Amino acid sequence: MNSTPRTLGSRSIFPYVFGGLFLLVLADSWRRAEVDPGIFFEAEGREHLWRFVTGMYPPELSWDFLELMVRPTLETIQISVMGTLIAVLIGFPLGLLATSTFSFQGILHESEYRGFGPRHAFKVCLYGLARGLLSLFRCIPEFVWAFMFVRAVGLGPFPGVLAIGVAYGGMLGKVYSEIFESVNERPLEAIQSTGAGRLQIFFYGWFPQVLPNITSYTLYRWECAVRTSAILGLVGAGGIGQQIEISIRMFNFHEVTTLLIILFSLVAGADYVSAKVRSLL
Amino acid sequence: MKPAQQYHLDGVRKVFGRGQVALEGFDLKVARGERVALIGPSGAGKTTLFRMLNCTIRPTSGHLRIGGQEVADLYGRSLREMRRRIGTIYQQHNLVPRLRVLHNVLSGRLGSWSLLGSLASLARPSQLETAHRALTDVGIGEKLFSRTDELSGGQQQRVAIARVLVQDPDVILADEPVSSVDPSLAETIIKLLIAISDDTRKTLLVNLHSTDLALSYFPRVIGMKAGVKLFDTATSRVTPELLQELYSGHAPVNGAGEPYREPEHRRTAV
Amino acid sequence: MNHADANADQLAALKAGARDRSRASTWALLALLGALFVWSYQGSEIDLGMLFSADGGGAIAEYVERLFPPDLSAKVVADAVEGAWETLAISLIGTLLSVVIALSLAFFGSRNLVYAGLLYEMESRRHLVLLRRIPYLAAKAILNFLRTIPEMLWALVFVFLVGLGPFPGVLALGVHTGGVLGKLFAEVLEDVDLQPVESLQSTGAGKIQILFYAILPQVLPQFISYTLYRWEVNIRVAAVLGFVGAGGLGQRIHIALSLFLEQQLLTLLIALYVLVTGVDYLSAYLRRRVV
Repeated sequence: MNSTPRTLGSRSIFPYVFGGLFLLVLADSWRRAEVDPGIFFEAEGREHLWRFVTGMYPPELSWDFLELMVRPTLETIQISVMGTLIAVLIGFPLGLLATSTFSFQGILHESEYRGFGPRHAFKVCLYGLARGLLSLFRCIPEFVWAFMFVRAVGLGPFPGVLAIGVAYGGMLGKVYSEIFESVNERPLEAIQSTGAGRLQIFFYGWFPQVLPNITSYTLYRWECAVRTSAILGLVGAGGIGQQIEISIRMFNFHEVTTLLIILFSLVAGADYVSAKVRSLL
Repeated sequence: MKPAQQYHLDGVRKVFGRGQVALEGFDLKVARGERVALIGPSGAGKTTLFRMLNCTIRPTSGHLRIGGQEVADLYGRSLREMRRRIGTIYQQHNLVPRLRVLHNVLSGRLGSWSLLGSLASLARPSQLETAHRALTDVGIGEKLFSRTDELSGGQQQRVAIARVLVQDPDVILADEPVSSVDPSLAETIIKLLIAISDDTRKTLLVNLHSTDLALSYFPRVIGMKAGVKLFDTATSRVTPELLQELYSGHAPVNGAGEPYREPEHRRTAV
Repeated sequence: MNHADANADQLAALKAGARDRSRASTWALLALLGALFVWSYQGSEIDLGMLFSADGGGAIAEYVERLFPPDLSAKVVADAVEGAWETLAISLIGTLLSVVIALSLAFFGSRNLVYAGLLYEMESRRHLVLLRRIPYLAAKAILNFLRTIPEMLWALVFVFLVGLGPFPGVLALGVHTGGVLGKLFAEVLEDVDLQPVESLQSTGAGKIQILFYAILPQVLPQFISYTLYRWEVNIRVAAVLGFVGAGGLGQRIHIALSLFLEQQLLTLLIALYVLVTGVDYLSAYLRRRVV
């Protein structure tokens, strides 16, 4: 009876309440974030900026320096590749378990259980556990993972690989499960009706349907991993990141330029390779 | 000793979530090797019935016996074994589009293969000859290695039939197998199904929207409406009045396709 | 018999054809991929044996054990809340800054607004069209530059430029995300439906008028949606910017990690988890509501 006016009312009030709240939070955030653009115009800020900008030219291109940078550069690529591989190994099975249509509901389970027996409860638990793990993995940033793994296994590229593997495993698993959930179920039903088991249905019905999407997203994540592995070095996890930090802290800005050029090329190269692979799909 | 009854349904009832009754008090006996056509307006519950007959969903109540086996007692392996013995051809052929034709055909063997065997076959196909013979039988042997989504609708339906051929079941269920192909092809496909069931003495149940095809090719016709059986009789005794009653309130359709409806389970939050 | 022979022949021919098509390229690609993995495996000093050995596994288990129970004393919790609030502030202001940067560059970075397509169909002064490519290319280059340098590196730079605290974090987020959003916005602008533009133009409307009446209303929902999505990303980044001295939860996490205050660390991680999930939900809700 009063549904029409109420909808109208709530519709007109929502933007104001929310907008007001938003402005309040924003004002408070402005204060907390200690925003102070004036810094760039004070003598000291100006001098820093000047020193930074002029210091960056020319890039350091001496043979000694470049030779020193070869290994960290290659290491960055290696970390990204291995990290992504581990992420897939973590994300794929967990993503599969976190797919409700695979684990416990939908047409594939229609005949499997009567009521809600312990079997069903077990499947739901497994599904919940997988979702929880994925969410835990991706909510803790790569950086924190890297730091903790440095603690656990020592400095070097290995903790970087583990950090990318775990954090990206969480992201991949979540997106994989979304892709799995969105497949066309009719072929699955048909394959099930031939007497196939769940994993057989997965590999004949699911996998071919999702393969292009999954590959494409994994490649995208690998591109991100290249960027990430380049900076995980800041906490001692290998790659060129460590060198970048040293150069900035030592005010060797011409080295920073070189390192940025290397980073640019790495990222552009990864872009190119993954575009190439995508076009093959 | 095999019991003569392929299917024996006794008071089967199916209710989906929200109390939507799809099938009510359904009795049915089908003998081994029999050929039966089901007709009726859309929403009559034909597809629901077929999904029970191929063990995709369970009856809410009532008895469903297949080859003398009570389906309610089946689960896990025994359920899969039962499914293996029932081949289904779907209205939308339900093939995996990106897979090659041969894998879609060979997926009919999955019930007999081990998990590892079926994985290996994806890389290096086993039983290629079987797949090729089945495809040749349905007239498209040359498409063995094509991608399934490159085929026309009629060809895809043939692939689905080839899948059932390699499955080599006791029963073939065909749920609106011809509603997405043109009329001349429809007749060819029905003839093909009948030839297959004749050759191997398989039971054949076909769910048809076209009364013409049902009456000209099947000795027994069942009319369904609103979840109940309206008639079940020899074709010779189907009268125009019966058909009129079956389709009253619906435009009688000959050959035209039934629009695809979302499977009911989607609307059922489990 | 003849029939069976014909079948066998066809099968053999089909097999040969399939082999030709798939084998060589697939195997080459797989071999390349395998080589890449082996090379990477060796280079990244992976030692899974150590991870699963009693020693390494034990160290990790021990570390996890030390995390529990989280330190829930009032002081630590208050500090965590304070940090979370600061991280939220950094992400909000940083995202706001990024929108400003993105908006000021995106319009120059979309071809159809600057020099090509329908709006310039009748432009006969070719030198003008050529001249207009300059701001386009400049905007593209700047966006690329901003985007390629990760937030953490920007943060390092800004910490050097403006000193420690949340402000360099804001700048780092704003600059990097500005590049990302600018590129996304420009893509949206290039995909705009041209019919309203054409009909407005035919009424004699100027370019700015067309922008406000035909283009912005179309793209605004997508702009908002992309911004919210980046906000979700930024809250995660803001939480670690503190590692290089840019305030927020990250700074506290860094300290807790460095000083082996594992139980405080867990409290901070819980705060981080709550913050990130909360922002995810809020953003998803807003996206549904607004778009």
